Amino acid sequence: MVKSTLNKNKYGYFFIAPFIIGFLLFGLYPVLNTIGLSFTNTTMMTSHAKFIWLDNFKALFADEMFIKAMGNTWLLWLLNFIPQLGIAMLISVWFTSTRLKIKAIGIWRVIFYIPNLIMPAVVAALFFSLFSYYGPVNQLLVRAGLLPDAIDFIRDRTVMRSLVVFIQWWLWYGQTIIILMAAMTSISVSVYEAALVDGANGWQMFRFITLPLIKPVMIYILVTSLVGGMQMFDIPYLLTDGRGSPANAILTNNILMYMKFRSSKGHIGAAASVGILVFIITSFVALLIFYLLRDKDAVKKANGGKSNA
Amino acid sequence: MKKISIIFSVVLVLAMVLSACAKTPGEKTVLNVWSFTNEIQTMAIAFEKDHPDVDVVYTMIPMTNGEYQTKLMATLGTEDVPDVVALEAAFVKSYVESDFLADLKSLNADVKKADVYPFVTEVGTYDGVLKGLSYQATPGALFYRRSLAKKYFGTDDPVEMQKILGDMDKYTAAAAVVKEKSGGDTYMVASNGDFMNLFYANRAQPWIVDNKLTVDPMVNKLIEVAKTFRDNGYEAKATQWQEGWFAGMNDSLVGADGKPKQIFSYFLPTWGLPYVLAPHAASADGTKTTAGDWAMITGPLPYQWGGTWLGVMKESKNLKLAKEFIRFCTLDETNLTNWATGVYTNEYLKAIDPNTPEGQSQAAGDFVGSKVVVEKITAGFDNSELSKFLGGQNSYGAFALAAPSVNARLMQGSDDAIQRAFNDPLASYLDGKITEEEMWKTWKDAVHNEFPDLIIP
Repeated sequence: MVKSTLNKNKYGYFFIAPFIIGFLLFGLYPVLNTIGLSFTNTTMMTSHAKFIWLDNFKALFADEMFIKAMGNTWLLWLLNFIPQLGIAMLISVWFTSTRLKIKAIGIWRVIFYIPNLIMPAVVAALFFSLFSYYGPVNQLLVRAGLLPDAIDFIRDRTVMRSLVVFIQWWLWYGQTIIILMAAMTSISVSVYEAALVDGANGWQMFRFITLPLIKPVMIYILVTSLVGGMQMFDIPYLLTDGRGSPANAILTNNILMYMKFRSSKGHIGAAASVGILVFIITSFVALLIFYLLRDKDAVKKANGGKSNA
Repeated sequence: MKKISIIFSVVLVLAMVLSACAKTPGEKTVLNVWSFTNEIQTMAIAFEKDHPDVDVVYTMIPMTNGEYQTKLMATLGTEDVPDVVALEAAFVKSYVESDFLADLKSLNADVKKADVYPFVTEVGTYDGVLKGLSYQATPGALFYRRSLAKKYFGTDDPVEMQKILGDMDKYTAAAAVVKEKSGGDTYMVASNGDFMNLFYANRAQPWIVDNKLTVDPMVNKLIEVAKTFRDNGYEAKATQWQEGWFAGMNDSLVGADGKPKQIFSYFLPTWGLPYVLAPHAASADGTKTTAGDWAMITGPLPYQWGGTWLGVMKESKNLKLAKEFIRFCTLDETNLTNWATGVYTNEYLKAIDPNTPEGQSQAAGDFVGSKVVVEKITAGFDNSELSKFLGGQNSYGAFALAAPSVNARLMQGSDDAIQRAFNDPLASYLDGKITEEEMWKTWKDAVHNEFPDLIIP
């Protein structure tokens, strides 16, 4: 073997440089800048800003709108995520099952995934028109005799929340199915065959083979969905008046942040503090998920190995 | 519909940006103009006729949910700041009171010459410095359907109708008559939004007095009237600026049960006639039109609503040209005359710029801010298309009588934010979804969110 006189190691740095530069510029700098801003009373309509320590955060916790937005965000995320994971799991199990042998999986996958390709803005506009007071849903229900009179759905908090939940679920369940199916198909068939030979039933195979083996993927889905859910913005923003109407029912963290930013003075300092709190909460919960779903066997084995040595 | 228009305009803006990039950066000086409707684009094209060496790049961003204000604010102090900005009445003050607009004192002589209504310059002035000018004056009116008036009140004569609808109690009583005689199929008014500017304009004190949020008794009166209209079924429960509201203008409003519904009257100001009512008087399928069936009166309360001011951004690299653009749009006698009398047709604009979008034009009838022009052209409206639209009534003459009484005393930079924050709580309260107490609280929380330093009682 001839040892190359050329040190090729440095080329690696060249190849990762674009990402690193991009990340520092568009990833790290905005984050640090946001943290900095959250301690000031910067507005966009004036040029001078003061360092005000934690006043922005104090104001937030005293502000019922923030508490409400935080509650709404969690509610809307949980209500769409739990059925999303459940239904995606069920469909994935069916479609990867070697016993059911469903045909044309590719076509089904496309059908499940298509909602995800539609722009949220379009979906929101569509649902807004459908459910408006003089819209088709009211016309259909009244003319079919299901409702005595038209209902102002847009003003109904439960209806609007349900719509947000449904749209979020409908947009994202296909994505979850694709990831889950990929994880399930990567499990070796021989494991299932061995279980069959041992007399395991469908549930047991799911519980003791599928579930443990797709755990890393589950963590991925949970964390990405959490991050996305805590930043829920476009659907609730576009569905009504962009202020979380009716009566703040679909006001989320990010809408509140945006409202602070676009208030007539442009309070970006206060807006940044909302962003920082969302960041802290998301990080904390994500770490909690990692901790709770950690591979306990692996930890035990690692410890056991050490003591033997 | 409004969401679609947002998407559409975003696409439009993108297309404009792209087409602007495609242009060779030749000898033409580029003037960037931003607005929230496409009306000023007409003047921008007309401006290019007088200034062939100038390329006005026009950007339209809607303000349905405040997108325009946000976008404009985000560009302040950056490279992307436009030269000329359009500022709507609801937020013009926040810019006039800021340091971002250039002094327009070089136009003072022209302002005098055009004899601009004092209200227009008052709004554009802060600390004695003129920073914004408008091409319009915007007194309000009540527009009603002549055929329905005849049917329910036996007359469609504006003088008689003003007697019947002359104050809020009479208007409410008339609403009851309309409902009873129509069996509930004709509504007095389409949305609760129609009332808002009417009452806001008649407040005795502005929203903020000594840094304290102030609720004028007129606001309470607004809630009371809106609630009466909602609970008694005098109001069609449409939402202002949305499908149902527009459908009422051309008689194509259909209840959920399939029954046709009619709207008796709309509260609209000067600009509402050529921009809102007239363009929507024919239904989308062209089968129904209400043109010729309208009349206008002062209505229960005199008021003023809206208006677009123009300002020059201080950081503009073409200050002189930008100021000339403002002079042309707001003070130039020829331009204002052309603007108000319907000279700017699509063909006229296409002759200047072949790339003029289809449908871009200015119909006759916008009420201009220069008294000199108003006096000169009023008589011309006696037999115009617009007076045919109003069944022979000269709207221009009526607005000319109302314009001098408009004042700017109440206007503040915070109006837009405070009034926007009130829309949803009020609508939820009217619909019975929240109590009156919750309505005030929701509103005050939202105002506090906008103005953290404001004292809110």
